[in-house]
Order: sequence, then C-alpha cells, then structure tokens
Amino acid sequence: MPKDPFKTRLEIAKNKLSKKNLYNKKDSSFSIGTAFKLSTELVSAVAVGTIIGFIFDKTFGTKPWFILIFFFVGVVAGISNVIKSAKNMQK
Amino acid sequence: MAANPMTQFNVYRIGPEIKVGAFDISFTNASLFMIISTLAILIIFNLGSKKNSLLPNKIQLLAELSYTFVSKMISDTAGLKAKPYFAFIFSLFMFVLFCNMFGMIPYTFTVTSHIIVTFVLATFIFIGVTVIGFIKHGFGYLKLFVPSGVPPVLLPLIVVIEIISYLSRPVSLSVRLFANMMAGHTMMKVFGGFVISLGIVGGWLPLSFSVALTGLEILVAFLQAYVFAILTCIYLNDALNLHH
Repeated sequence: MPKDPFKTRLEIAKNKLSKKNLYNKKDSSFSIGTAFKLSTELVSAVAVGTIIGFIFDKTFGTKPWFILIFFFVGVVAGISNVIKSAKNMQK
Repeated sequence: MAANPMTQFNVYRIGPEIKVGAFDISFTNASLFMIISTLAILIIFNLGSKKNSLLPNKIQLLAELSYTFVSKMISDTAGLKAKPYFAFIFSLFMFVLFCNMFGMIPYTFTVTSHIIVTFVLATFIFIGVTVIGFIKHGFGYLKLFVPSGVPPVLLPLIVVIEIISYLSRPVSLSVRLFANMMAGHTMMKVFGGFVISLGIVGGWLPLSFSVALTGLEILVAFLQAYVFAILTCIYLNDALNLHH
C-alpha cells in the first residue's frame, strides 16, 4: 500500500513553493495594489501633517506656526510617498 | 425610500437601547450587517471545507479558489515569511469583501461606507504591523525612518517626513475604502432618483447608467477589498523584511 499519496504530493508542492522566488514584483497583482495606493497617499499625508501641526499648536499655544510648517512637511511627505510607490511599481 | 441620497447611510438602532457607562453599544443596522457578513463567511467556508472531495462541488471550489487567491497574494507581495499571518489577512479580506458585496443588494446597509469602521480596521492593522516590526527587529525597526545615504544636515527634516508618511498609512488605507464605497453608493442613489424624477419619458438614460454603475460598483467592491488586503500585505512586508 503506497504511503498516503496525498502527503507525498503535498511535500513535493511545498518544496516547489519554497524554491520559488520571494519577490515577483513584475506580477500584475502587485502593481495594481500600488497603483490604487497613489491616489489617497498624497492627500492622507497632508491631512496627517496638518493634524500633527494642529495638535502642537494646541499644546504649545503657538497658533498658526506649527500648522503652517507641518502642512508643508505633510505635502512633502505625500509627494515622497507617491514617488516611493511609483518607484516600487517600476521595479 | 426618501429621495435624499444620503439617508442610505443612516445608522439606526434595532431593539432596545443598551448603554455601558457613557458608551452607547446598542444593536444597530451596522452591527446587524457585520453579523450577517460574518455568518455568511462562516457558513460558506464551513460547507466548503466539510467534505474535502477530490472533485470539488461549487461551494468547495469557491472556498478553495479564495484560499489560493489570498495565499498567492500574500506570497507574491510579502514573501513566505508572511505565511503565519495568512489567517488574519484572509479573514480581513473576506470580511471587507462580504461587507462590500452585501451592500450591493438593494435596501441593505454598507458597513464599509462609514469611515469609523474602516478606520478601526486600518488602525488595528497599523498597530499590529508596528508591533510585529518591533518584535522582529527590535529598535532596528526605527531604521525605517532613516533612509540610507541622506546628508546629516537634512536628516531631521527627512525623519519628520518619514514619520508623517508612516502615520499617514492608516488614514490613506481607511479613507480609500470608505470614500470609494460611499461615493459609489451615493452616485447610484442619485441616478436612481433621476429615473423617478424624469419619469417614463426621460428616465431611460439614467436607468441605463444605473445598470452600468451597478456593474462598476460590484467591480469596485471587489477591487477595494483586494486593495485593502494587498496593502496590508505590503505593510507587513515592510515590517518583516526591513530594506528601505
């Protein structure tokens, strides 16, 4: 009687899987995720930056200054997010 | 139904009001639809994994296909190291997918069209990924905020920028799902309203639009669940394989 043919097949499949390349970034499923990432990435970084600035202003009582600084830092962070995602897509 | 396209997002209480301290934890229509989608997932996957026949029937095929789909997605984006987190990502994907899809049935409530629901999901992912990153790499995980090859003069600015872009992850994750679901459902309702107001003469054009939009919305419902899960994988990948 053969020793559980399913188990041997499972072993073979597992071996094949572990040999496969870890990063298969050319796969279309990967790039579609990053493509959808782009749209909100920019906006959310600006929002988070502004909120951080607002909190700093509230705690230190320096009304417009931190919000101004962190707004622009947020914009830069958003742009760098988008560039990062775009670079990931090109790989 | 009311003509206001936003009334479909109203949360109302079903049954008695339950209060714990200052928190209102009454059973609402949102909780009802979360329970319905969870039960649907449990039933489908219990039926699908009960028999394990070599020639699968339809439900088993559905369960196996979704298993391989998510499994492939994880190994493609986050590598084999992310395999232990399969259960989490699979349930996350299925929950979001079923909530989105149940929202496509007329007169139902779309749970994911509320930002608090998606934001809670995204926050749990964010905290979980951060904790995993610190467990795997210790304080070396903070290197994520310090890209290599940056001149020391710019370093404080870059670190602030990186921290903001890291903190923006849960926001972008939740806003994307919420905005897509809410915009789509509002648009469908608006076009449905046009059909009524233009009557039998001019109502055919918005009606055909509605049909097309329904198809598009089903695509969006699937795609947003997919994007939600795949971004979780990407964030997990950042935490597991630290290379910045």
